[in-house]
Amino acid sequence: MIKKISIKNVNFGFNQKVFFKNLSIDFSTKGISVIIGPNGSGKSLITKLLKGIILPDSGEIQLISGKTKPKISYLSQKITFLRRDVYNNLAYPLIIRNYKKKQIKQKVNKILENFNFLDKLNFSARSLSKGNKQFLAFIRSQIIKHDILVLDEPCSNLDFESIKIIEKYLLTLKKEKKIIMVTHDMFQAMRLADEIIIINDGELIEISGKKSILKSKNKFTKNFFTKHILSP
Amino acid sequence: MEVFFDSLSLILSFDKDLYEIIFLSLRVSLAALLISTIIGLPIAGILASKNFLGKKIVLIFFNSMMALPPVFVGLVLYVFFSQSGFFGFMNILYTPIIMIIAQVIIILPIIISVSAELLENIFHEYKEFFDTFSVGTLRRVKTTLFDARFSLITCILTGLGRALSEVGAILIVGGNIVHYTRVMTTTIALETSRGNLSLAIALGIILIFISIMLNYIVISIKNISKQNSYD
Repeated sequence: MIKKISIKNVNFGFNQKVFFKNLSIDFSTKGISVIIGPNGSGKSLITKLLKGIILPDSGEIQLISGKTKPKISYLSQKITFLRRDVYNNLAYPLIIRNYKKKQIKQKVNKILENFNFLDKLNFSARSLSKGNKQFLAFIRSQIIKHDILVLDEPCSNLDFESIKIIEKYLLTLKKEKKIIMVTHDMFQAMRLADEIIIINDGELIEISGKKSILKSKNKFTKNFFTKHILSP
Repeated sequence: MEVFFDSLSLILSFDKDLYEIIFLSLRVSLAALLISTIIGLPIAGILASKNFLGKKIVLIFFNSMMALPPVFVGLVLYVFFSQSGFFGFMNILYTPIIMIIAQVIIILPIIISVSAELLENIFHEYKEFFDTFSVGTLRRVKTTLFDARFSLITCILTGLGRALSEVGAILIVGGNIVHYTRVMTTTIALETSRGNLSLAIALGIILIFISIMLNYIVISIKNISKQNSYD
């Protein structure tokens, strides 16, 4: 049970550029939070801060659950596969967590079967098409146990059918796990979000439910939605 | 032409002295290669995966060591291991052991520098993946080494080629003693100066043969890696 997910007074910069100045965000502890904003606004950096891949210069990332620190599974925008086949790419996160061989085989086969990807078990992961790589990366993000799922554009390069599978899966998963995701697809955001977080230039513009955000009086939010939903 | 036929006859008649020299050369160079690989690859892995103060200096040091003149290595070892030297008590001067040490000093920087560069590229590519799954340092090094294995074999074989063709250092520290420290390159140098060209040419042919074999192995490994590296 997640009690708190928040970014508190975070300052972060590199290469002499300030990305976040006193940024604070309180995420809801249930459902799907979707982070949206223009390119370069800092959405991916927020996901990396949450995962702990980058550390803030000052401020705090608060992740609080019952007894222990919640486990985060993260899907990066930059997809990397080991120089191995699909099976071994999925097995790797389990091997490093000391799962037994039999358990690994069962888990990998089961997850591939669930996502209808079992026929690619022995393919080189690096030789898959862009879409299949993205899909496999998503599958890999589900292979280890987690409490919070952080996804950075999980559906880029995917075809309509695969997007449908992932969205359906996320809508089921949100009943048990907290999901935070970044997307550029406003329609996807509206389909999935329980909470929408709008970021611009490293600043939090607005946090709102998906129904109320369309009625927002914030100038940036209004412009952003007009531009992305009404324009082709 | 007669000299060439004499050389071939030495090779084909399995001349005992000739093959003793060849096997000693291989023993010394393979031992040096094994030691250099065992020491070099973990160092290369750490250099590729860790950022630490002075890393650049360490890399510059090993890169510079690649150009170290073997004669100078031989001279330094001679000074340290001669009777009056700091390690003189070990009594290993003019033995195959010191020849192995000399070759390790010569090929270790090659293995470290070339492997570190190769591993750094792979490691850089894998970094976010490792961070995503919170992979520990040792496991990162192991994974990178494993995924780079085919390219690393090529680096290692380059080291073997360098070791087998080395003459300056082992001539000084080995002394070119017959039936004991006489290897292919030092024998070629000696027999040429003596005018015994048939033995020198026979060894030259063997060296060229080994070089062709090494290149064949490198090319075969590259082909295998294309099929099995999942790249």
